[in-house]
Amino acid sequence: MKRVKNFFRYDNAGLFFILPAFLYMMFFVGYPIISNIILSFQNVSVRNLVNGQKKFIGFANYSEIFQDAVFRKAMGNTLLFTVACLLFQFLIGFVLALLFNKNFTFAKTIRGLTMIPWMMPMTVTALMFKFMFSTDVGIINYILRSSHLISENIEWLTTPGTAMIAVVAANVWIGIPFNTILISTGLTTIPQELYESAAVDGANAWQRLVKITLPLLRPTIESVLVLGFIYTFKVYDLVYVMTEGGPVNSTHLLSTYSYKLSFDMFQYSKGASVANVLFLILLLVGMLYLKITMRGEED
Amino acid sequence: MKKRVLATLISAMMLTAALAGCGASAGTPAPAPASDATEEAAPATEEAAPVEEAAASEGAAGDVTIWYYWETAGHQEALDHIIQEFNGQQDQVKVQAKYVPFADFKKQLSVGASAGELPDIVILDNPDHASYAAMGIFADITDKFDVSTYYPGPVNSCTLDGRLYGVPFGSNDLVLFYNEDMLKDAGCEVPTTWDELLDVATKTTKGNVYGFAHCALQNEEGTFNFLPWVWSTGQTSYEINSEGGIKALEFEKSLVDAGAFPKEAINWTQGDTMNQFISGNLAMMINGTWQIPTMRSEVPDMHWNVAPIPQDKQQASGLGGENYAVIAGGNEDGAIEFLKYATSKDTCLYMMDHMGYISSDSTIAKDQFQGDPVYQVFVDEMQYANARGPLPEWPDISDAISLAFNKVITGDSDPASAAAEAQTTIDSILGK
Repeated sequence: MKRVKNFFRYDNAGLFFILPAFLYMMFFVGYPIISNIILSFQNVSVRNLVNGQKKFIGFANYSEIFQDAVFRKAMGNTLLFTVACLLFQFLIGFVLALLFNKNFTFAKTIRGLTMIPWMMPMTVTALMFKFMFSTDVGIINYILRSSHLISENIEWLTTPGTAMIAVVAANVWIGIPFNTILISTGLTTIPQELYESAAVDGANAWQRLVKITLPLLRPTIESVLVLGFIYTFKVYDLVYVMTEGGPVNSTHLLSTYSYKLSFDMFQYSKGASVANVLFLILLLVGMLYLKITMRGEED
Repeated sequence: MKKRVLATLISAMMLTAALAGCGASAGTPAPAPASDATEEAAPATEEAAPVEEAAASEGAAGDVTIWYYWETAGHQEALDHIIQEFNGQQDQVKVQAKYVPFADFKKQLSVGASAGELPDIVILDNPDHASYAAMGIFADITDKFDVSTYYPGPVNSCTLDGRLYGVPFGSNDLVLFYNEDMLKDAGCEVPTTWDELLDVATKTTKGNVYGFAHCALQNEEGTFNFLPWVWSTGQTSYEINSEGGIKALEFEKSLVDAGAFPKEAINWTQGDTMNQFISGNLAMMINGTWQIPTMRSEVPDMHWNVAPIPQDKQQASGLGGENYAVIAGGNEDGAIEFLKYATSKDTCLYMMDHMGYISSDSTIAKDQFQGDPVYQVFVDEMQYANARGPLPEWPDISDAISLAFNKVITGDSDPASAAAEAQTTIDSILGK
């Protein structure tokens, strides 16, 4: 009895409050992840998904996928896609946030409107960009040709090199509002007086940006980048609709390749292995994010 | 400290919840198929007599659910019609149909199979039949149906190790569609050989119009449309790195190099290809039987016609179509009862005619399209139509083949090395 009483002293009772959430997460998130990890160590394919023995084969799936040229390509693509998207999303989003921070007429309205790409269903965006990048009737080639930047139509989605540019462009467009909004919010937390006194001391606009805005925005920027990394690294629907990983596997990401292995080619265990590689990388990034946010709370 | 660890763990999980969408793939408990069932079969009308008058014999009773993937409204209505008729005839078995989008169909079946949540009947694409039969989710119905009058291609696609795991629903095949006006303007005859096709395609290419295209997606749909070239050289689908296989890839390349074949066809479904054709952007295309009803209603004034696919050494086409399969462990009796009705001559004819399909039963097919010269070309082509597989690992073979012609069309590799690479994959799957 005393023990129980002791347990409830201080704020140990809080543990009970998180119990429902904990159970929920264990069941709906923990279980699939664990079962997926188990699957990746087995040899489940079309022959033994339902009947037949599922043998544990250790790391054989992992060593196989790491020798698979398409997997390595998908891995490289995922990193390239994420870094390229983050870079452009962040830079453009940052500039837009600075712009909307100026209180000109309609600033708020336009800032609201820039959220549209973020709210639009991914599939719609993907189809839209697929049409825009189409070789013969796409508006992008039309604009480039009318402004005499190119003389021949670029075969955006049917050439291995340029297809990646097209999907990155589409994803950058989607991601800009996310960056803009978070950075805008971050900007409003910076006291206006700092800028005023800096201006009195003779700091020019560039100095105010580098010496005041950037350092004070650091926590926001870190969050935006890490969350952006997570959102971008796991993109699936955009690429699936725009290119299905093609042409010739040149735009496969880990997510699309995992899907293809599992559900188009019935290699469930291999698909699970690819998904787990994706998961592991994101878990590490997620941990980093938690570390950053917790550090912020302790300050 | 303990609290901190727990909090970290939970927030880590919440975070991963957002991103575990892909991580959870095959292990996830099956969600209810996430599709708007646009065409749920209405229940039988209430005029049904008391139970004892039931027509269904052999103790067949209960609900039967069907999954299918036809997106065309006409197809859905036809299926709905025969289901209602069946439900109205007897009151022991109640059939319901559920639409699952084609893109999700294989996923739903796989997920359903591992979670034990499957319908009682599926109507599926025939090259996938062997995979699911090998998975063990289909009931062996060898002694339940007589398929001796059916075409061998469709029956083969339902057969695994000599046992019958389904009944062919209906078949379709591929032919050459051409725009009569465009060929006439260019002063061309209908091509019958590869050389003629290249020639006509080149001559009809002008402005926004491409001479010729077929769906060249890097998936089963693309493979289906590409393989007739290989078969026409006398080679099989498993012999890509052969004289004929390489020749087929080289032919594809010559069409692209001549500017007569749009590279964008690698992103076109068969439906997209048909839309390009009826919009006047294509002079010729390869496409299937099922497009005819749509084309006739969309562009009644357009002058188009069909011809056998131009050949190299021999006439060849691709065999498509769906099969019915009964899920093992479901309401097997009820499902078989419905299938007996669905494959009976009148019902079968109704479905085939409304869907623009050719019956897989040769006795029904032979007088199916009397007096319709367009369909007659398809029926004639049936005897040259080759099936893909049947092999449980067919999706992997298909992937290797579609990668090869995609590499050639995009100019990523030359035909010889694309063929060699595909062959390595195929041989490793076949265990050579």
